[in-house]
Amino acid sequence: MRSEGMLRSLLTAVLASALALAIASCNNNPYPDDDAKQKVLYTSFVDAPRTLDPAVAYTTASHAITGNVYDTLLEYHYLKRPFELIPGLAERIPEPEFLEDGRVRYRFQLREGILFQDDPSFELGGAGRSTRPVRAEDVAFELQRIADPAVNSPVFEPFSNIDGLADFRARLVTLREQEEGFTDLPLRVQYRRAGPVRGIRVADDRGLEILLAQPYPQILYWFSMPFTTPVPWEAVEYYDGEGDRSRFADHPVGSGPFRVVEYDKESRFVLEANPNWYGARHPEWSAPGATYPVEGEADDAAKGRLDPEYRGRALPFIERIEFRREKESIPRFNKFLQGYYDASGIVKESFDTVVVEDRLSPEMAERGISLEKTVAPAIYYMGFNMDDPVVGAAAGVRGRLLRQAMSLVVDSEEYARLFQNGRGVPSQSVVPPGIFGYDPDYENPFRKVDLDRARELMDEAGYRDGVDPETGKPLRLTFDTPDTSPQGQLRFQWFVNQWRKLGIDVQVDATNYNQFQEKVRNGAYQLFMWGWVADYPDPENFLFLLTTAMARSVSGGPNTANFQNEEFDALFEQMETAENGPDRAATIVQMREILERERPWIELFHPENYALFHSWLSNVKPAGISNPTLKYRDVDPGARRATREQWNRPVIWPAIVLGVLAVAVVVPGLVTYFRERQ
Amino acid sequence: MLAYVLRRLAYGVVVVFGVLLLLFVLFFAVTDPDDIARQSLGERVPQNVIEQWKQSHGYDRPLWPWQDWDDNQLFDHYAAMLSFDFGRRDSDDTLISERILKGMGPSLSLTVPLFVLGLLLGIPLALLVAFFRETYIDRLGVFVCVFAMSVSVLLYIVGAQYLIAKLLRWFPISGFDPDPSVVVRFLALPILVGVVSGFGGEVRFYRTIFVEEGSRDYVRTARAKGASEGRIMSLHVLRNALIPILTQVVLTIPFLFTGSLLLESFFGIPGLGSLTVDAIRGNDFSTLRTMVYIGALLFVVGQILTDLSYALVDPRVRLE
Repeated sequence: MRSEGMLRSLLTAVLASALALAIASCNNNPYPDDDAKQKVLYTSFVDAPRTLDPAVAYTTASHAITGNVYDTLLEYHYLKRPFELIPGLAERIPEPEFLEDGRVRYRFQLREGILFQDDPSFELGGAGRSTRPVRAEDVAFELQRIADPAVNSPVFEPFSNIDGLADFRARLVTLREQEEGFTDLPLRVQYRRAGPVRGIRVADDRGLEILLAQPYPQILYWFSMPFTTPVPWEAVEYYDGEGDRSRFADHPVGSGPFRVVEYDKESRFVLEANPNWYGARHPEWSAPGATYPVEGEADDAAKGRLDPEYRGRALPFIERIEFRREKESIPRFNKFLQGYYDASGIVKESFDTVVVEDRLSPEMAERGISLEKTVAPAIYYMGFNMDDPVVGAAAGVRGRLLRQAMSLVVDSEEYARLFQNGRGVPSQSVVPPGIFGYDPDYENPFRKVDLDRARELMDEAGYRDGVDPETGKPLRLTFDTPDTSPQGQLRFQWFVNQWRKLGIDVQVDATNYNQFQEKVRNGAYQLFMWGWVADYPDPENFLFLLTTAMARSVSGGPNTANFQNEEFDALFEQMETAENGPDRAATIVQMREILERERPWIELFHPENYALFHSWLSNVKPAGISNPTLKYRDVDPGARRATREQWNRPVIWPAIVLGVLAVAVVVPGLVTYFRERQ
Repeated sequence: MLAYVLRRLAYGVVVVFGVLLLLFVLFFAVTDPDDIARQSLGERVPQNVIEQWKQSHGYDRPLWPWQDWDDNQLFDHYAAMLSFDFGRRDSDDTLISERILKGMGPSLSLTVPLFVLGLLLGIPLALLVAFFRETYIDRLGVFVCVFAMSVSVLLYIVGAQYLIAKLLRWFPISGFDPDPSVVVRFLALPILVGVVSGFGGEVRFYRTIFVEEGSRDYVRTARAKGASEGRIMSLHVLRNALIPILTQVVLTIPFLFTGSLLLESFFGIPGLGSLTVDAIRGNDFSTLRTMVYIGALLFVVGQILTDLSYALVDPRVRLE
């Protein structure tokens, strides 16, 4: 009996301990405990990138990885705005050399002794080899990959300016079509057979010459993007998706500050600091791309981005970056509020509790969260089809007055407030803030709301009270859009209501994307809404959208407004190749004046990104364009751990309330039942 | 019985063919191959890149046999599915078969406990409610069940994430780690939500069966002979109510493999339900058709298994 009692007591004690242990170990921390001591940056992704092949990857999601794994010859200064190029893998920024035959040469010199990350693919180059030096021919190889139709790179067009690259592409196609067994050859052999490319010359292991058929100074910006990173042929050949080997598109092998150590598209990616990175191996070089900047913009010091603790220090500061998949926005945001993500955007459901009167709410500020607003190098606009006989150039002065009048009633600020939570800077011109040529003092006379002036212009155009004299009815226009969503319809109806103030009857014709494209191809559209995000921070990347050469009806280019103006084109040619300076600024002003008058676009707004950061994350400056920013960031794991513990203490009263409620409901039932039974 | 099974299999083939045709027609009625390409490549890529993508994925060919009898997408669609050559995902060119094999583990680790717990809780609760029939507990039970059935699963998910992960902080809001030592922490909340959101319907269904069974003559006879209520319910009623329960249970088993669309999506579990949601959102036709095809096959198999199980548990049933 006694031993039975002891056994029961022991069992009870064990069970109670197990229960206590289980309750104690219950917590909402999704990470292993060891992580709390390390410099790990936690961030999230919604959908995995389709590809990490640097020649193909063209989305923000993919550049978040490739931009930090693949180093580039040049990069942007982390803090300075407008953006400024600095040397990356290249020792210096090459100066253009203008040749007598009109071609332009750029000579890149790679730093000495740069290594790729360790990877098994390098065994292809020699047994036991785990890495090798980066050579100029690796950049040349990547440029050839961009031209290779089988790679299907979306950026061949800007590189087609490299002398002979288009011919190389054509030769490659011919050889693949005509020579049996050619496609079975290793890629580098195929390229060798189809080459050489006149405009790409590998001088030696470190010297690379790029020869452009005509001046295109913006080519240097492309050398700051992952498209032009050195790529080892071994990795491309080895990671062919056969057997146990993954595809090169899922297995990046670069020479950047981080390397991918885990890549599960459905669940998580893990990046670790690359010990082979030149910044880690040669901190004594104090190379611009491997050292925290010592100078920046006026507000950088105030925002703690020029802390003496970091200035001039070797990068990177973070040991590991964890990307966790979060498909739904609410759990993602809640985890940020619990301290399990270091940074976050703002979900629309919580916008009003996070941002109050365009500032961070006191509740968020109290938690040490900071709000960083960045105007994206982008623009949203309403376009007129200038080939249209009513709203376009063919309507002459009458059409121009109509466009001016319509521009005067669209209130961008109200639009941004209603549909963007106020996240947008009303546009006055095509060039957004942060880009050379942007003038903060410029006020476009047709981009302020002036209903009286708009009505006068309608009168001058012969549309008194919006009535078309030919029909005696309100002028009827069509607004074509590929957005059929209910939210889109609300937005478009807002525009319709603005133009109704002038008596114009605008009909929204929402179709699917392909039907819309068909209408654009056939020129059967009048008004449309579109946007553009810069590839690189140069006014050329915006103003080219309105050149004749890019007109949709001329070349199928992105000038969907089909704006064609000889004076504008001539000024664009001057501006395109000019150095940033007063002359270039003056040319941009002249171009702006033409657009102001002709109104092929109603400039709406430059989108603004709002991002939230916890206090333990330092040196955050969103870029808005592709730039390896993670190497500059730092986390304080001690502060994070303490704050997480403080923020995640259980609140147990809801459980007690629920328990009491359950008892209150069930007990009367039991009492009633047993009473009835008696 | 063999003839019956063969006949059901033949019906199944017709169903699967019909499902595949319906999927193809509906998908391409609302989606153009350009949309599939654009979803995969992004909005900014030039048209020539889209055309090349379509060519390399076979979406540049005619859709229908009457456009080109020898080379059309519909016949290829059938050929690929019937030969179980699922190919690569439109979204990222990875092998669909690999992704399915990889996703099956997380899906089963969610759905199997959900299924077992659902039965272990649902059947006793239904028995209990039926045992207390026509009393306060029965009425309360029915009310709670109807209420639980009426609430959207989304509300359960958001409510549980708020209450258990945000306030009580017992489990992570979302996430998944296949490591056996921690996987329970990530699965506990979705399993709890799954059990709670499903128990209303299950308990009510089982209760109806038990109450119906409890009113039969043999039960009355057992009562007249003095058998206790507990013995009647657990020994007689439960055993005889097994047939309709089995229908429900056997039909559910095949779908354990396809995972849970909502739970996996909201709790970040990289299973097959999540894969299906991704395919729907991303216009990924090759993945979607595979998941629908597998779903149709499992449905047919489930139906046949249900019929067979009838015959096994009830000697009165003859499959002819």
